[in-house]
Amino acid sequence: MTFLTLDHLQKSFGPTRVVHDFDLGVEKGEFVSFLGPSGCGKTTVLRMVAGFETPTAGRVVIDGRDVTRLRPNQRQIGMVFQSYALFPNLTVAENVGFGLRTAGVPRAERAGRVAEMLALIGLPDLGGRYPWQLSGGQQQRVALARALAPRPRVLLLDEPLSALDAKIRVSLRNQIREIQQQLAITTIFVTHDQEEALSISDRIVVMHKGIADQTGTPAQIYNQPATDFVAGFVGTLNRFEAEVLDPARGLVRVEGAEIALDRPLPAGRITLAARPESLRIAAEGIPAEITGVEFLGSVQRLRARAAGREVVLDRFNEPGVALPQPGAQVRLAAAQAGWLVLPG
Amino acid sequence: MRRVWSWAALIVGGLYFLLPLIGTIEFSLRMRRGEYSLDAYRSVLSDPNFRATFSYSVAMAALTILLGVLIVVPTAYWVRLRLPRLRPVIEFITLLPLVIPAIVVVFGYIRLYNTSSILPLTGTASGTNLLLLCGYATLALPYMYRAVDTGLSTLDVRSLTEAAQSLGAGWARIIVRLILPNVLGAVMSGAFLSFAIVIGEFTMAALLNRPAFGPYMQLLGANRAYEPAALAVIAFAVTWGCMGVMQLISRLFGTRMQAK
Amino acid sequence: MRQIGWNWLGVLPFFAFALLFLVLPTMNIVIGAFQNPQGEFTLANLAGLASPRIVSSFAISIKISLASALLGCLIGFAMAAAVVMGGVPGWIKGPLMTFSGVASNFAGVPLAFAFIATLGRVGLVTMLLRQWFGINIYAMGFNLLSFWGLTLTYLFFQIPLMILIITPALEGLKREWREAAEVLGASTFQYWRMVALPILFPSLLGTFALLFANSFGAVATAYALTGSSLSIVPIMLFAQIRGDVLQDPHLGYAMAFGMIVVTGLANLAYVVMRARAERWMQ
Repeated sequence: MTFLTLDHLQKSFGPTRVVHDFDLGVEKGEFVSFLGPSGCGKTTVLRMVAGFETPTAGRVVIDGRDVTRLRPNQRQIGMVFQSYALFPNLTVAENVGFGLRTAGVPRAERAGRVAEMLALIGLPDLGGRYPWQLSGGQQQRVALARALAPRPRVLLLDEPLSALDAKIRVSLRNQIREIQQQLAITTIFVTHDQEEALSISDRIVVMHKGIADQTGTPAQIYNQPATDFVAGFVGTLNRFEAEVLDPARGLVRVEGAEIALDRPLPAGRITLAARPESLRIAAEGIPAEITGVEFLGSVQRLRARAAGREVVLDRFNEPGVALPQPGAQVRLAAAQAGWLVLPG
Repeated sequence: MRRVWSWAALIVGGLYFLLPLIGTIEFSLRMRRGEYSLDAYRSVLSDPNFRATFSYSVAMAALTILLGVLIVVPTAYWVRLRLPRLRPVIEFITLLPLVIPAIVVVFGYIRLYNTSSILPLTGTASGTNLLLLCGYATLALPYMYRAVDTGLSTLDVRSLTEAAQSLGAGWARIIVRLILPNVLGAVMSGAFLSFAIVIGEFTMAALLNRPAFGPYMQLLGANRAYEPAALAVIAFAVTWGCMGVMQLISRLFGTRMQAK
Repeated sequence: MRQIGWNWLGVLPFFAFALLFLVLPTMNIVIGAFQNPQGEFTLANLAGLASPRIVSSFAISIKISLASALLGCLIGFAMAAAVVMGGVPGWIKGPLMTFSGVASNFAGVPLAFAFIATLGRVGLVTMLLRQWFGINIYAMGFNLLSFWGLTLTYLFFQIPLMILIITPALEGLKREWREAAEVLGASTFQYWRMVALPILFPSLLGTFALLFANSFGAVATAYALTGSSLSIVPIMLFAQIRGDVLQDPHLGYAMAFGMIVVTGLANLAYVVMRARAERWMQ
């Protein structure tokens, strides 16, 4: 029995269907990210959970109760917006206490809870300030505290980090994850940034054109992408056209180099793919010419041309090992598990 | 439910604004007993005083616009170019005419420029005309300045000026040939607003005893029944015409600027 | 140093003009308000404002200005809100704003004529009410040349001014504020009471002050409508300038000074409130 169930949700605006048959169960305390490009329908799904949009078909069930027809103010949900959306006329403390005030919590109890929440986000002394006196990162933390103060059953985060600087983005995302685990609150996080999704989620739903392409743990999404779109959207991927020599034993040929995959394959031509960190320079493999070398500190990024395409290869820095020079002829290989066979 | 209230507010408000317009038009046609006619308009238009005062006010409005442009454009340009720190002061001064009622300003004129003062402008007709002109320019100042300043804000005044200077242009040339054409749209919209304000202005003209359109209308209103309604329709048409042209110009120039 | 001198020369015409035709005339009146006929400093003129005739003229002026500003704010707000968030078709906004731009400048003598032709003794609406519904508004005590008549007339430029100023403020209310309030359990009423109205409050109060000053200084409409039968401040001042009806020129200056104080305070309130509203909206 899942805590939050999205049961065959659909949404159309006029003739345009933005969400097709979206199905998902979220466990209590789980952190699930909706990942996808803009316009993929992830925000629409989130807004249906919040109650700002009414599904054309399907149900939203929270803790066994069908809330599809409930208004947003009856759902006991916390939400954080991309634009912070703090009330400019209220102080930080009054913002955080807003949900408690609408719920009729007595003043004294409210003050205690507000202080507790401000301590939780690490801004215990800013209760008297107004939103315009805070930085973007501080405002978003206050928005998080405001959403959590009334003890919502589900927390919804709509691209909460997109308006922030890169540095604050990383520290705030870690803080969000920490607080989420501490409170064990069921959370949905909408983002178009794959690194964000991979780093903090229990599970990720990759969305594309209103459909959930794949649902899985970050490792599953990255290592075993279920669709071509997921493979391309999450992380960098090097693609190779391959000819299947022996479907039963999984023997293929790329640019004259034979690769044994040891898994059953369809006959004919397939697309083979490998992550930059799976590829390595070896004695045997696909012939390539190095075109560029970037030294990124802990990682060396090599660019090469193989089988008429640009490929990227990452490897850890090793002091004492010389970098290959542009123009060098090399061969590329990967471990068997490092090869992905893309469908279609 | 919300939509019902919205429509109610708009319809009640719309009626409030439409009824006086309809009422005025209807009234202006009622001069001949028992049937609608244009007699009131005929009577007004054939009145030599109407022609005299209306052309007087049109001329004053034109001169007001000219004076306003002469004062506002170089000032706004210069402040943007050389004295940006002075902008709040200038802005404050240009907003004063909205704060100080016109009647107080003209009261001051009468006291300051009377026949026994150092600058006895009210002593002669032409002197009083000049005083009224300056009064009108004061009234138009807030609208003129804001329009021109907004127009200038869309230009890079400094680069334009430096480019012109490097080509050997003098100040007069820069303002007349470079700045003015670029803020023409803004100047025009300020000009038409000024025109609409000046054409029917009453207080200043009446207190300075000038034969302007505003006092003429008031006088006619005190003595006739149907002609004032015809005058109101004419005045409303003129105001609408001015504002309409102004909107058209700002839209025209607005799109042209975006197209650049 | 010479550079600075040159720079100031560029704004000299403007300052000369402003000084001669705006600042000095006003200062002259203000100083006159504090002088006796011999040119000595005195507060007697201001004390003279306490005469029943002048006090009552200020009272009625302030009453009319308050009423027309309040009603202008309420009706203008309702119409602006209807267009911005009331769910009416979007094309209405353009014509309404254009019309407001025109009507807010349609004060003065013609406006008085329009209302005489509509709500005067033989005006269109007066006649129609009598013929169609048998309601004789004049028999019921209505008079266009009265407090309510003047207030009703002033609304013709007050409401549009309110619409022009408050529409951008209403559009500045972010959708997310409403959604955040909703998701935090607020009803529509609670959202308006705790968030939207407090955010709009500086704009509302500021516009109210502006509308107040706007009708307080209006001369032409009132004069053309009532002649001198209703002694509001501007009309009394008008008569004083023409013919010294108070029989004391310096009392006239004091009255003009009183007008500047009232409109000045109202405008100051507007500026302060607008600055506050802008700080929140950023």
